[in-house]
Amino acid sequence: MSSQITVSFKNQLAEIERLGQIMGAFAEHHHWSPQFLFEANVALEELLTNVISYGYEDNQEHEIILRLSFTAGEMTAEIEDDGRPFNPLEKAEPDVNQPVEDRPVGGLGIYLVRKFMTDVAYQRLDGKNLLRLKKQSVKEEH
Amino acid sequence: MDITESKVSEIVIFGLKGRLDTTTAQSAQEKLLASIGGGEKHLAIDCVQLEYISSAGLRALLLAAKQLRAVNGKIVLYGLKEHIKEVFDLAGFSAAFPIFHSQVEALNSFKS
Repeated sequence: MSSQITVSFKNQLAEIERLGQIMGAFAEHHHWSPQFLFEANVALEELLTNVISYGYEDNQEHEIILRLSFTAGEMTAEIEDDGRPFNPLEKAEPDVNQPVEDRPVGGLGIYLVRKFMTDVAYQRLDGKNLLRLKKQSVKEEH
Repeated sequence: MDITESKVSEIVIFGLKGRLDTTTAQSAQEKLLASIGGGEKHLAIDCVQLEYISSAGLRALLLAAKQLRAVNGKIVLYGLKEHIKEVFDLAGFSAAFPIFHSQVEALNSFKS
């Protein structure tokens, strides 16, 4: 496995399981810590789930592209989809200090993405949504 | 994901094994809500073998907590791995879900 891979997903929720397998193999190849893998996997799952669940108004099959690379201790991921324009970064953040039982049920996914990624950027380009994520691996202190 | 269900006195213990993600959270949610709907008020979630959780899993537990509150019930968790605990802390869930190290501690918390 090279330091850069491109994966095509269909707009079906079952693909989330395949994402986990691909991330696991990529992490093993690059000797990621379990923590780094977990946080990266959660972030990509949240974004992919959003696109699959809310991105399409038709019932057609669509292709969602994930480009994943890891160089010099930094993961870069790009998610590209041809769904309706949607910038997840515009979603309001949940108030995590509010008692859980009083909270609306949504919004947590994007919140976790922001927490787990060093950088997240959105762009609408050529009729497609493009999300660019970066995650820096930090050497653990001993 | 494997989900086991057992009962110790008046407490239902759900064991979650594997990954609680977008594809598996739905069935976990259905099992939890069915139990509460059937009249159970005391739930303990065994997370010893829980390897992964995303927001879909958090939502399933949140819905269970909401339903339990309506009937003066209670849900507790135990045996969380460090990275799972971190997600609960980040999401602000730790305050609503009492978290214990061991099953004994979790079950004892229902006594008072």
